[in-house]
Amino acid sequence: MSVKVMIVDDSPFSRMMIVEALSDSGYEVVGEADSLESLIETYKSCQPDIVTMDIAMPGADGFECSRELRLLDPKAKIILCSSMKDEETEMEAKRIGISGYVQKPIDSENLINVIRKVLAPDTLYEQLLERGLETFKEALSQNVTRMAKIPVEFKNVELSDEKYMSQGITTVIGIIGQYSGSMIMDLSPESAEKIAESLLHRPTKNHEELLAMVAELANIIAGIACSMINKKEKAYALRVSPPSIFHGNTAEIVSPSVKIHNAVADTDLGSIYLGVGFKKGAALWM
Amino acid sequence: MDVSLINPILSAFYEIIPQIGFQKIEKKNLSLVGSTFDYSGILINLAVVGSIKGAILIGMDLDSAKQFASKMMMGMEVAEFDELAQSAVSEMGNMVCANACTQFAKVGIDGLDISPPTLMIAQGGQATLPMPQTIIIHFLVDDAIDVKVYVGLMK
Repeated sequence: MSVKVMIVDDSPFSRMMIVEALSDSGYEVVGEADSLESLIETYKSCQPDIVTMDIAMPGADGFECSRELRLLDPKAKIILCSSMKDEETEMEAKRIGISGYVQKPIDSENLINVIRKVLAPDTLYEQLLERGLETFKEALSQNVTRMAKIPVEFKNVELSDEKYMSQGITTVIGIIGQYSGSMIMDLSPESAEKIAESLLHRPTKNHEELLAMVAELANIIAGIACSMINKKEKAYALRVSPPSIFHGNTAEIVSPSVKIHNAVADTDLGSIYLGVGFKKGAALWM
Repeated sequence: MDVSLINPILSAFYEIIPQIGFQKIEKKNLSLVGSTFDYSGILINLAVVGSIKGAILIGMDLDSAKQFASKMMMGMEVAEFDELAQSAVSEMGNMVCANACTQFAKVGIDGLDISPPTLMIAQGGQATLPMPQTIIIHFLVDDAIDVKVYVGLMK
């Protein structure tokens, strides 16, 4: 099935140039629009795989059109086509969630290349979503078992996707790379203390030592899981941030921009919540 | 921690906050604490990875967070700090930190990337970062909203 492309540009000449650039490419131009209003209507009726978007247009500009389009369809894949190319344009485009960029005048080979690459990373992303949580679960099981000498079993529990109430000690580790994301590990202070004791062969000296142990455990799990993922596919190039730990009174944990996939590990020393989520980033800037 | 690391974050805050509907930003004070600090209300965690790493966190009490979200949403009433309000303030955190990466690049620290925001909501919560010191920048936005930016970065 051919890839369906829709062109948004107020200039009939520019639209013609893009149609021309895509002829003989196997890509099919299924719709054209010259304003925000016609964009929404045309998008709904022709359901394209890719939208090329001009920046400078009378009325709503390309950024505003892209924001509206992403509100209508958060999965819309937009390639910005513009003569402007500077850091701020790029930053703004990335924040909106635009996937790629082609500089005008449009070069046929370049445009086709960007379209191909914008469509291609999806398989990688799908695979990451599919194996991401499983890999982190494996890293958690192996390392908790190895370090604290206790068996780990994941139980099936219904967890809300929207929010999660902390059991007391939450570690958040940021992940960056081809896709960015987060790992959240949460456990009660009692479970943390028991795991620490099993690991250190003595009770922790103080709260700081306990937190340091939890942070280190989360760090190892995230680091090992990311290298397992990278080993399977180098293109992910995942790296982890140092851990931030949240404790004190129990907190509600929300991840507004990334869907967190979660699981609960059951051990003799208590349960450990694990949440992992990845977000599709801007694919390419050429 | 190297105090020069905060200038790009100040620039980012001064650049982004007016773009999302605020008029006045006042830097009230700057303080240095250890690796653990208290928070009450909301705390947005954004991890930074690259030649410097750690986290930038933005905190507000719950009322300030509601006011902040309301202003971002063109004055829409925010009675509860609901999903929409959570998404709005998280997006602000994302924009400030993304811009901070651009500001860091301007002073030669480039190639930084940030993780998506994670939001903690608690009364009487504590945060611990794996750095000996955290810088707290206290801002007053539009004469009414207290915003604290916690910087825990290391080279």
